[in-house]
Amino acid sequence: MELELLALGDNGWGDEMLRATLVTLMVSLSAMGIGLFISIFGTISKLSKKKYVRILADTYTTVIRGIPELLVIYLLFFGGSNAVMGLAKLFGYYGYIELNAFVIGSFAVGAISGAYSTEVMRGAFLSVPIGQIDAAKSVGMSKLLIFIRITAPQVLRYALPGLGNVWQLTLKDTALIMVTGLVEIMRQAHVASGSTYSPFTFYVAAAFLYLILTTFSNRIFNRLESWGNRGVRRE
Amino acid sequence: MTSALEIRNLKKSFGSLEVLRDVSLNAQQGEVICIIGTSGSGKSTFLRCINLLETPDSGEVLVKGELIKMKRNKNGKLNPIDQNQVDRIRSKLSMVFQDFNLWSHMTILQNVIEAPIYVQKVEKKEAIQNGLSLLEKVGIVEKASQYPSSLSGGQQQRAAIARALAMKPDVLLFDEPTSSLDPELVSEVLKVMKSLAEEGRTMIIVTHEMGFAKEVSSKTIFLDEGRIEEEGKPNDIFNRPKSRRLKQFLAANL
Repeated sequence: MELELLALGDNGWGDEMLRATLVTLMVSLSAMGIGLFISIFGTISKLSKKKYVRILADTYTTVIRGIPELLVIYLLFFGGSNAVMGLAKLFGYYGYIELNAFVIGSFAVGAISGAYSTEVMRGAFLSVPIGQIDAAKSVGMSKLLIFIRITAPQVLRYALPGLGNVWQLTLKDTALIMVTGLVEIMRQAHVASGSTYSPFTFYVAAAFLYLILTTFSNRIFNRLESWGNRGVRRE
Repeated sequence: MTSALEIRNLKKSFGSLEVLRDVSLNAQQGEVICIIGTSGSGKSTFLRCINLLETPDSGEVLVKGELIKMKRNKNGKLNPIDQNQVDRIRSKLSMVFQDFNLWSHMTILQNVIEAPIYVQKVEKKEAIQNGLSLLEKVGIVEKASQYPSSLSGGQQQRAAIARALAMKPDVLLFDEPTSSLDPELVSEVLKVMKSLAEEGRTMIIVTHEMGFAKEVSSKTIFLDEGRIEEEGKPNDIFNRPKSRRLKQFLAANL
């Protein structure tokens, strides 16, 4: 391994790799955020009384979780460009439009992340004992108040371990959006190894960078979990 | 004098199963009414219909003379017209459940002060003061800052009673409050309930504790297959049962 290749500054790729790490983190965060946002609607839909709403949500999670993630990203990336270009044609613009790789990457990984988050949240919702909801009704709490004070805090607690897993998955899935040209860790390692002919050095460096991100965030989730589990006794 | 609680001609079916067939009840201020009967006789459903945790198919519920307004929707189901009225009346009809149903993410004190603060808009300081004195009353004030999971069943049920009392309710509804408890924990809960009865609180109690019903109730109702088979003074019900069904029931349960 040639460590001098990883030096910071003009002679090495270190600073580029660090910048790429930041991009990976940013894409992961926005994808997770988009995923959580989707999961709120996904969960509500899955628990809906209306059959067609449930079918819609089931289709979403089944399709996304049932095909390779790389394929989801290709489909959304090219499908997204086509859709935007189709829309532009309606307004008389016939050129090629390329979508911002960061935005489309976040949405693509967010769609995947959202499908998994939806399943986690649905499970968490069903874990809140119905009796506790009855108790809240019986003291005259309104639906909104019950959600804010009783359901949501417990859903969050039950969902945290699962969401920790989804976060790890989301973080690693961002490696797949290198195919869109976004310079995150994987792309940067690919470019650097191409121009230095030292692929192993850069892929090992990439592995370390991912490990640092996942280990660090794992700790944060563990903290959150033990905070969320106050009052819970393991039987 | 208006009754504290009046139920008129309540009917309820689950699918083709008729659970309640025309049940009425009238509770004066300070009355303690015990409802006894076999499992599946409709006792719990009846109680849950009173505060609309179950919506009755027909019938009327009046709390202190105020009728809970309901109307029939297109598919014939009865529905409350004004959810705000339901919420307001529910806060005056506190319920104690078989499985305690304490909110597990809150401490015991938080459980007790939650509804006074967020539903009745009581000042937090006042709610805490009142909450602590209620926990004192049911004998678990030292558990105030603990979570429900670290309490025994009897302690949890006493906390649930404190939570119900914190609403300063007009009527207390008890749904088999001791049925989930280990035998040695039953008496501590019954003791608390007895002291509430002696204070002159209006209570409707669904129970399997015959001794308790006999001793504490001012009126006992025997519910059988969704009907009131017999009702009256506990002395008459337990010592001079008239109907064959009640005789059978008492023979099996005393």
